[in-house]
Amino acid sequence: MSVTSTGAGDPRWFQNAVFYEILVRGFYDANGDGTGDLRGITEKLDYLQWLGVDCLWLLPFYQSPLRDGGYDISDFWTILPEYGDLADAVELVEEAHRRGIRIIADLVMNHTSDQHPWFLESRQDRTNPKADWYVWSDDDTRYADARIIFVDTEKSNWTLDPQRGQFYWHRFFSHQPDLNYDNPEVADTMLDVLRNWLDIGLDGFRLDAVPYLFEREGTSGENLPETHEYLKRLRKEVDALYPGRVLLAEANQWPEDVVAYFGEGDECHMCFHFPVMPRMFMAVRREERHPITEILTRTPAIPEDCQWGIFLRNHDELTLEMVSDEERDYMWAEYAKDPRMKRNIGIGRRLLPLVEGDRRVAELLHALLFSFPGSPILYYGDEIGMGDNIYLGDRDGVRTPMQWSPDRNAGFSRADFAQLYLPPLMDPVYGYQSVNVEAQLRNPSSQLHWTKRMLEVRRQHRVFGQGSFEVVSTDNPSVLAYVRSAPVVTGDEGDGSDCVLCVCNLSRFAQPAELPLQRWEGKVPVELLGRVPFPRIGELPYFVTLAPYGFYWFELTDL
Amino acid sequence: MTPAPSLPDDLGGLLAPYLARQRWYAGPEDLDAADVRVVETRELCSTGGGQRHLHLAVVDAAGSRYQVLVGERPAGEHAEFLQGHADSMIAGLEGRYLYDAVVDPELARELLPIVTGGVEAATLVRPVGAEQSNTSLVYDDRIILKVFRRLVAGRNPDVEVTTALARVGFEHVARPVGVWRSGDLDLAFAQEFLAGGAEGWALALTSLRDFYDSGDPDPAAAGGDFSGEARRLGAVTAQLHVAMAEAFGVDPARLPGGDWGGLLDAVAERLAAAVADGLLEPASAGSALERLGAVVDPGPAIRVHGDFHLGQTMRADNGWYVLDFEGEPARPREERLVPTSAMKDVAGMLRSFDYAAHVALGERGAVEAEGLAGAAAAWTAHNGAAFLAGYLAADDVTALLPPEADRPLVLDAFQLDKALYELHYERTYRPTWLPIPQAALRRITDRLAG
Repeated sequence: MSVTSTGAGDPRWFQNAVFYEILVRGFYDANGDGTGDLRGITEKLDYLQWLGVDCLWLLPFYQSPLRDGGYDISDFWTILPEYGDLADAVELVEEAHRRGIRIIADLVMNHTSDQHPWFLESRQDRTNPKADWYVWSDDDTRYADARIIFVDTEKSNWTLDPQRGQFYWHRFFSHQPDLNYDNPEVADTMLDVLRNWLDIGLDGFRLDAVPYLFEREGTSGENLPETHEYLKRLRKEVDALYPGRVLLAEANQWPEDVVAYFGEGDECHMCFHFPVMPRMFMAVRREERHPITEILTRTPAIPEDCQWGIFLRNHDELTLEMVSDEERDYMWAEYAKDPRMKRNIGIGRRLLPLVEGDRRVAELLHALLFSFPGSPILYYGDEIGMGDNIYLGDRDGVRTPMQWSPDRNAGFSRADFAQLYLPPLMDPVYGYQSVNVEAQLRNPSSQLHWTKRMLEVRRQHRVFGQGSFEVVSTDNPSVLAYVRSAPVVTGDEGDGSDCVLCVCNLSRFAQPAELPLQRWEGKVPVELLGRVPFPRIGELPYFVTLAPYGFYWFELTDL
Repeated sequence: MTPAPSLPDDLGGLLAPYLARQRWYAGPEDLDAADVRVVETRELCSTGGGQRHLHLAVVDAAGSRYQVLVGERPAGEHAEFLQGHADSMIAGLEGRYLYDAVVDPELARELLPIVTGGVEAATLVRPVGAEQSNTSLVYDDRIILKVFRRLVAGRNPDVEVTTALARVGFEHVARPVGVWRSGDLDLAFAQEFLAGGAEGWALALTSLRDFYDSGDPDPAAAGGDFSGEARRLGAVTAQLHVAMAEAFGVDPARLPGGDWGGLLDAVAERLAAAVADGLLEPASAGSALERLGAVVDPGPAIRVHGDFHLGQTMRADNGWYVLDFEGEPARPREERLVPTSAMKDVAGMLRSFDYAAHVALGERGAVEAEGLAGAAAAWTAHNGAAFLAGYLAADDVTALLPPEADRPLVLDAFQLDKALYELHYERTYRPTWLPIPQAALRRITDRLAG
């Protein structure tokens, strides 16, 4: 078995990468059994390369009873047979690397499925070899300060196991017992798991639910020092044996708390920036920039070789944990008009239906995403504006099959319709007959071509990934202007510019803005999509007008 | 070294036409050269190898005192900043020309170290919106310098109040950086610049345009719902009053002791005048007054903002800020400093919501505006209620207010007072806007009468 890796290149590749999140089950079904698989992804790599994404993030592909979309792992060493086998995984990694695409995979560190052999053994009695691999207690009163996360389904973080006659601890679903990281055997074994998958060439992991690894009495059980210590150990291991691989932490916390997961550049390379996402939607709905600028202002600086992961939508609900109660009510009222759209503390919808099918808004939101500080993460299907089905259970509404063509089963699978893991969307607006890759490939004005073009432009300017971010004051509250800039690095390939000015209109009406750009007096703004030079910046405020939901990316040049 | 050329002897005469053009000049338009008297001049600095000069000139003109920052450049030297600023030109002299230096990015930049005694310096400066009595300059998006144009002896109320509020720990004023004084005159005031902030007025209009376009009659359902901001603004206003009381004290006897009666008399007089002029139906005016007369305790008096409206507020990334404590510019300084009811500010803001709703309505043209009149009233009521709720939710403000039973009446009295002021103002300056205060007066008197 040969192993390839692109990790030998730029160790900070992830700072300029565009990520693409793939639900293995929903992307492409190569073997015709109704469920997407790893070989299916391999077959679609040419498409992903054409689109211009740099790194795939695969949702969990491990053995699992699939009661939580694969986040309930029942064997860390094995691939879910429906998805393929180890050879398929190796082939996928090799083929991706051949095209310059990296791959990271989801890994759930915090808990396992209750079907995992470790748990089956642990629950048997209090003395077996795995007896302390999970968190057991005689009563359900310990760690009372830890909140319940899945408030829709769970009443307590403790569940009684009748077999062992004790309660086990679970921060998520009751069928997902938390591993006991105070047990050194568990801590060591999980490192083995990581090594196992890095050995086949994976470029890193998205670490699911990292804040909850340890439990301590009298605390919220989140962000404990012990958890950070363990992550530092993990990072050390990766740096020593697998340089160039990336750890992306999922910690749904306020940015001031999340930065702890970067450590001093010695913990995770990347963390998701959760709170900025709902605020992008809020800002557009309110036609006003403050929801965005206030969260970016309160986002602390991060170590130089780290990066935020930012996104508009993903496989979970649009989470509203990191907004105030008042803002949550607002978001529910504005974006979840049908109560079925609410999931836990969030909204279970895809991007385009969220913005009521307005492509101008979808494009503006993408323009924000692609130009904000952080590496953008696209969710499969959002590049063609896929819809959702809020009548499917839990979060399945946003996990329907990728729509490849207007053919049977959306071109996703050759299986019988009834065999599909979920029905593809068939409604007249977002159904696969109207929204699919094939049709959009043929149409140069499609959202797909637009997305590809934006990624192309973004790739030519490293300031989007690595530059500083500075808001430019303007009186008009509907206009958000900011500058991404970095010192000129001579001989740096593919980047002639050191300064990009972004001006966005968050309003559905045309808007004017006067920008104080005296600092760049003498520069000529060149619009990046059309390369049209705009009037030179003078001593006076710079005046721009913006179409509804319009935006400009200007390179400030010396023309 | 050649001695710095001084300003010409007939500077007063040269300034007369310039002054008459300025928005902040308060005298008659036909200002005569002889009516301008130079009180003080001095050179503040020179740049460009002694070619360009910045002078301070304090002058008396038509009964008021003004500050002019005079820039001087050699004749023929091109200055882009004067393009579109013909009003800023003062005079062309032999070999040099004089102009208002606040528009000159080079000379205006030199002003900051002078004003702050060398503590602060900046690389870039830009002028921002001119106001009625001052001009503001922004340095490096970090410091805003308010240059007072019309000078009044004694502490400038804006400097006095802002500094006092900052001293008692009120966090919703822009932090003072320095004051520039000459004798007993405050010439300029440097404060932290609220980068990225937007004026409350602009935010309200944004919300209103969104709402009017939504077609939904319920302002709470609109995406641009302003009530969250209005509630937070109310809370900040309450904190402002608590801080005012802490900084300047509370006078529990002042309003009951006569000022309240004086206010009612003034309101009665102006109401009667409005009725006499045919601007208001007589029906409800009388019973409204009678109702106000029933107030038992109008509450204590404190120093207030005095000219509180959406344009005096700024929403920055970390919340609302209150600006400009100069009080109503039309009133004499002494009058602006008199303690009164906190309800004066609350009334001012509620009237401002009403104005915003109607200004946004006015943007729509007559046909659309007619259909949206109900929406305008709904927006005003919805956000006024949110503002009040935010204001009253602060526990410690209640001690500064009239007792609960009298509170709505006292608030209505101040809204009447404000609307009558607006009536006078609009009749004089903007007759097409007259219906806004007229409708408000009708509404308030009807409410009181009913």
